[in-house]
Amino acid sequence: MTLSMKNVSKVYKEGESQIIALDQVSMEVSSGEFVAIIGPSGSGKSTFLSIAGALLKPSQGEVKIGNKNIATLKDKELSHLRLQEIGFILQTSNLMPYLNVLDNLLLLKKMSGKVTKQDEAFAKELLTGLGLTSKFKKFPNELSGGERQRVAIARSFMNDSSLILADEPTASLDTNRAHAVVSLISKEVKARGKAAVMVTHDERMLAYCDRVYRMEDGKLTLQ
Amino acid sequence: MFLALKELKHGKLRFTMIGLIIVLIAWLVFILSGLGNGLSTLSAATIKNWEAEHVVYENGAGATFSKSLLSQSLQSEIEAQPGVEEVAPFSQAVIAILPTAGVTEGEKKVDTALLGIEAGTFLHPEVVEGKALDPNIKNGVVGNIILKDQKGYAIGDVIAIDGSELEVEIIGFVENETFNHLPSLFANMDFVRDYKYAAPGSNNGVEDAINAFAVLGKDVDAEQMIKAVDGVEVVTKSAAINGMPGYTAENGTIMMMLVFLIVISAFVIAVFFYVLTIQKTQQFGVMKAIGASNGFIARAIVSQVFVLSFFSILVGIGLTYLTAMVFPEEMPFNLDPALVITYGIVLLAISVGSSLFSVRRISKIDPLTALGRVE
Ligand SMILES: Nc1ncnc2c1ncn2[C@@H]1O[C@H](COP(=O)(O)OP(=O)(O)OP(=O)(O)O)[C@@H](O)[C@H]1O
Ligand SMILES: [Mg+2]
Repeated sequence: MTLSMKNVSKVYKEGESQIIALDQVSMEVSSGEFVAIIGPSGSGKSTFLSIAGALLKPSQGEVKIGNKNIATLKDKELSHLRLQEIGFILQTSNLMPYLNVLDNLLLLKKMSGKVTKQDEAFAKELLTGLGLTSKFKKFPNELSGGERQRVAIARSFMNDSSLILADEPTASLDTNRAHAVVSLISKEVKARGKAAVMVTHDERMLAYCDRVYRMEDGKLTLQ
Repeated sequence: MFLALKELKHGKLRFTMIGLIIVLIAWLVFILSGLGNGLSTLSAATIKNWEAEHVVYENGAGATFSKSLLSQSLQSEIEAQPGVEEVAPFSQAVIAILPTAGVTEGEKKVDTALLGIEAGTFLHPEVVEGKALDPNIKNGVVGNIILKDQKGYAIGDVIAIDGSELEVEIIGFVENETFNHLPSLFANMDFVRDYKYAAPGSNNGVEDAINAFAVLGKDVDAEQMIKAVDGVEVVTKSAAINGMPGYTAENGTIMMMLVFLIVISAFVIAVFFYVLTIQKTQQFGVMKAIGASNGFIARAIVSQVFVLSFFSILVGIGLTYLTAMVFPEEMPFNLDPALVITYGIVLLAISVGSSLFSVRRISKIDPLTALGRVE
């Protein structure tokens, strides 16, 4: 089991009032599975992904990534886990503005040590697959929003991590690109045996997914 | 280093400006240190050049040559003290010398420090031109070469001393010898004695009067020597240098300016990098979200500050040497490479150290920032 969440709750305290962003959520995703979460704005989808991605500690419940219980990990181990096991595609692309496209991908390799020739070849292969062949040396401010998002997607695959978490990856893409990107994620997931969770508003993308969950007021139900 | 250099390259204008500030600070620090060094050299170069470890004064002189009057006959007694290897007498006076013999007053006089030593002792500096002092040429003197370079004196010149019947003859030149802000003029002890104590009774009845003894010997125990020899005061060479008139005041002023400058620069540099870091909170959040450890980001920041400061300080050093070339020759400006390197390292350490503020800050950045929710 790549991702396993059991009875996870998240409560935000704001003064007197409490916001229950997640309410007793359970989900299991194993390798080769591509899961989608849909739901209205503010229902807790991003909160769910943050917890699944070890960015946020749950108020209650147990989260396991691989076989590691994230509650037992120290900060340093958490960042190592994120680097090695999780590929994030964030709601906004969030590339480093002073690194060109290729370097943005290679940054992940830098974080874990040296960059090899194979790493560079792999990065180029990923970018080519996403239609960015001519953009290797471009800086993020020279790219369109959609192109930036595709770079971010390529980056999430860069470390060959076992879990891909995507927060509305297609929000800024046109229909064709959106299909291309999601089918690419789906293909990667199947081919490389990854587990993936994608939050999306786009109903047309659900066809690529093995299971679809709906999030409503912090409660998760399988559709 | 990877991130640091890429960012420096990408944000040239921003980093050039910060670099410029560091360059200016470094420049000022080096100029001040050069001035400080120049002033202290001017004030006491001759003493600094001494090989001696200790200096013996008259008791109560407070390490001031002009207040100290001893008899040269004490020399053998001091020599007999444990640890003493060599002892040399020293005497000093300020004189004004006239351009050439016989020229009447009103001509431009040159103030010099007339320093009496015994020929052949270790107090005699190496001559760069002409010959060393010779007891057989009683009125022969060896002067600082700036008397030749800047004032036009030459070997063989016979010069009158202002306000005295005596004349001296220049027989040699030495380098980098100044005393009391004046060029040194070394002379035979007998001659100096004739000059200083020409008036009867002006030596307070001290036979063979001199001002002080320089003592060579690593194992000399000053306390013990004070007890063993009557009426003397024994201090280390550095205390003797500090006892030079104006030395502590000048040095203290410059040191204070330097310390303030360095403290202020630490703040300025720290604030600059702190602001830069805060601006990049979002970026660091993203990096943390995708797996960067605090150490990775900290190294990026510190190496960036290091590279930037290192090159800025190098430029500062370059500028200092350039300005040194246009300073007038009389200006007491003396860049000591060892000092330049020391202050360079201090500045570098300070800017790298001040970046640790920023490092502390990034360790607190929540990777959740990356999701754009936490403001
Ligand atoms: N740091 C926080 N402090 C307090 N409340 C928060 C915090 N983050 C999220 N919330 C609240 O938790 C709930 C879930 O938020 P979340 O961002 O997970 O929604 P979402 O489903 O991702 O919405 P969207 O589709 O608009 O991105 C919301 O009511 C939100 O206001
Ligand atoms: Mg969201």
